[in-house]
Amino acid sequence: MIPLTHYLVLGAILFAISMVGIFLNRKNVVILLMAIELLLLAVNINFVAFSHYLQDPAGEIFVFFILTVAAAESAIGLAILIVLFRNRRSVNVEDLDLLKG
Amino acid sequence: MTFTQLAFYFFATVLIFAAAMVVSIRNPVKAALFLVLAFFSAACVWITLEAEFLAIVLVLVYVGAVMVLFLFVVMMLDINLARMREGFGEYLPIGGLIAVLMVLEIAIVLTSGGFGEEQFPRPEGHPAGFSDTKELGRLIYTAYVYPFELAAVILLVAIVAAIALTLRKRPDTKYLDPARQVTVKKADRLRVVKMPAEKRADRTTEGEA
Amino acid sequence: MELNIQPILPEIFICAMACVILVLDLYLKPERRTIAYVLTVMTLLVAAGLYWQDFATGSAVYLNGMFIKDRFSDVVKIAICLLSLLVFVYSREYIKARDLFLSEYFVLGLFAVLGMMVMVSAGHFLALYLGLELLSLSLYAMVAFQRDSSVATEAAMKYFVLGALGSAMLLYGMSIIYGLTGSLDISVVRGIVAAQAAPDNVILVLGLVFILVSLAFKIGAVPFHMWVPDVYHGAPTSSTLFVSTAPKLAGFAIIIRLLVGGLEDLHFMWRDMLIVLAVLSMLLGNLIAIAQTNLKRMLAYSAISHMGFMLLGILAGTPNGYSAGLFYGLVYTFMGLGGFGIVVLLSRAGYEADELDDLRGLNQSHPWYAFLILIFMFSMAGVPPTLGFFAKLSVIQAVIDVELTWLAVIAVLFTVIGAFYYLRVIKLVYFDPPAVAAREISATADLRVLLSANAVALVLLLPMVGPIQEMCTQAIASVVGAF
Repeated sequence: MIPLTHYLVLGAILFAISMVGIFLNRKNVVILLMAIELLLLAVNINFVAFSHYLQDPAGEIFVFFILTVAAAESAIGLAILIVLFRNRRSVNVEDLDLLKG
Repeated sequence: MTFTQLAFYFFATVLIFAAAMVVSIRNPVKAALFLVLAFFSAACVWITLEAEFLAIVLVLVYVGAVMVLFLFVVMMLDINLARMREGFGEYLPIGGLIAVLMVLEIAIVLTSGGFGEEQFPRPEGHPAGFSDTKELGRLIYTAYVYPFELAAVILLVAIVAAIALTLRKRPDTKYLDPARQVTVKKADRLRVVKMPAEKRADRTTEGEA
Repeated sequence: MELNIQPILPEIFICAMACVILVLDLYLKPERRTIAYVLTVMTLLVAAGLYWQDFATGSAVYLNGMFIKDRFSDVVKIAICLLSLLVFVYSREYIKARDLFLSEYFVLGLFAVLGMMVMVSAGHFLALYLGLELLSLSLYAMVAFQRDSSVATEAAMKYFVLGALGSAMLLYGMSIIYGLTGSLDISVVRGIVAAQAAPDNVILVLGLVFILVSLAFKIGAVPFHMWVPDVYHGAPTSSTLFVSTAPKLAGFAIIIRLLVGGLEDLHFMWRDMLIVLAVLSMLLGNLIAIAQTNLKRMLAYSAISHMGFMLLGILAGTPNGYSAGLFYGLVYTFMGLGGFGIVVLLSRAGYEADELDDLRGLNQSHPWYAFLILIFMFSMAGVPPTLGFFAKLSVIQAVIDVELTWLAVIAVLFTVIGAFYYLRVIKLVYFDPPAVAAREISATADLRVLLSANAVALVLLLPMVGPIQEMCTQAIASVVGAF
């Protein structure tokens, strides 16, 4: 049967892909927001897998709440994106340079 | 190889492919569609873990709602696609390298023994007739009622924030106020004017709108 | 299962009032929106009163282990209520002048406060995460609230992306700890981790690293500080005031809940990681602050270095160290409140007094405000007759106690470097010719009085240092002693 580690490695691969996506994306804030959704998905895979192998429903409950929060988060993220676009007429990450950090 | 294993490795491969496409493709519409594929595959992976309720919620909430929201925004914002294509794949090799290294490091740690098959044997499946939904529902409304209320507050914050940030009254749009339309009285619109009779005119009153 | 809501009554009150204000706004004419403001301030005052009146004596756990009520939670919560209250009073005229005086702003503020309360009392990973997200989501919206401002929305976007990244890291760390221990309850996790705490348990290290990185993100410690200067600078100063004060205390509280309450047996692991974070924060924060020409950015880098000092107390790993950290956090938030309060005080409609040059020669036109700046800067620099000095002293004392003398030397060294840019501000205010001929300050009486009180308290509370530290010690004792 499928061992737990295979699920965990799947989660790790997704986590790494989306993390790299966030740091290397220089073109589009929309895709940045999508990468954040993927990041949370990776975490969720971890929780669901642990929950199943531990036979403990707490992990699945956590995932339920992460999904709720992720939906709220993407709503706010997109709202900020729209406000940003109205001000700048652009969603390019490279254009976010008024503040030098 | 059993059917479950086959399904898991198939959907896992699709999931990784879709995720890689989401972060590397330049066209945001296509990225959103790949994200749908990624979530759908993840839902299938979760079914192999007997998390049926969450898998269905993932499809309903993400594919049904969040992705539609994303697509709406992408379509609404008139994004300059030509600029998006500039410098395609410039950082892709180094990014790929970092991703592979990160995965290797985490994988080495995770497979180092603590989560091995001796400590975590695959559990027996739930008996037929077991309802995952019922179990989660029971817990959420009893032991987890406090987080449940907090989640409600978080959703309220999201609503307030999204409306406060994006709702605007544009001065150039014309709109009707139904309340005022309904409560309008005859006197507001119609004025009866008394005029002295004129010899060659038939009308004695004239209405003004 | 019985449901005892008595201990979370203040939280329910805050939540209910936020909803009342939200609904009330529908019936308020724009010119009478002050009612929403008054209600918000009253809510925070009453909530602080409720915590005070029901002050915990020991440590008790409610709602299936998700809600902890102890002295620590009550002390921090009262401070959070008072800080948020002062933030709203300070920023009232500022947001009125910029058309941000909307009920939604106050509602978001109250929900952020609610989120902090949940974090401070969190006894369960889930409650901690939800509180953190409630706070963060409200803060993102508050930073973006000046929606016609390009810089504010850019700051909000950066804050959002990095904040979401931080939350995801926290979740990943939690998922690994959950896998190892099979529980999400922090006190249960503590017991199991204690049994597994061996230096070669790499999986535990991996989970711990993810959690530490996310905590560093949230409080803005180097090298995860990138968002701090941009957010502090870009956000409307009213939101900067909010972001830079009470959430720091809430961040401290979750560090205590996670690292001390849950993973204290891993102290030998997280101590070295925190040392790196603290030293880098003090180094970069103080050095880069010197190069700033913008007052808000300078204060942002100073905030980073102060977080480094606060971490010093935690990494000591002794009850004394934790209480020194708590004392530092309390003092710093009130100093930071004053620092950004000055920017609000000097700003008026259509004019942001956030460049250092705007302060030139302030002493000639407004000697009292110049004096207030003097007190705030002295206190932040840690010059003796101020609370800031005792805060620095107590954390440095705490690291000396655990024989990290080299770290104490470094901390003193950075304090001296940091003093340079604080004193430069004082030089600008007192010894430079005025930049603008006649400067008018349109601040209202309540802002003037409270800001003055805030500054004077940093000196006049000196005789109270002993009792305040005693209060911090007892607060920490209620956390440490609960096990």
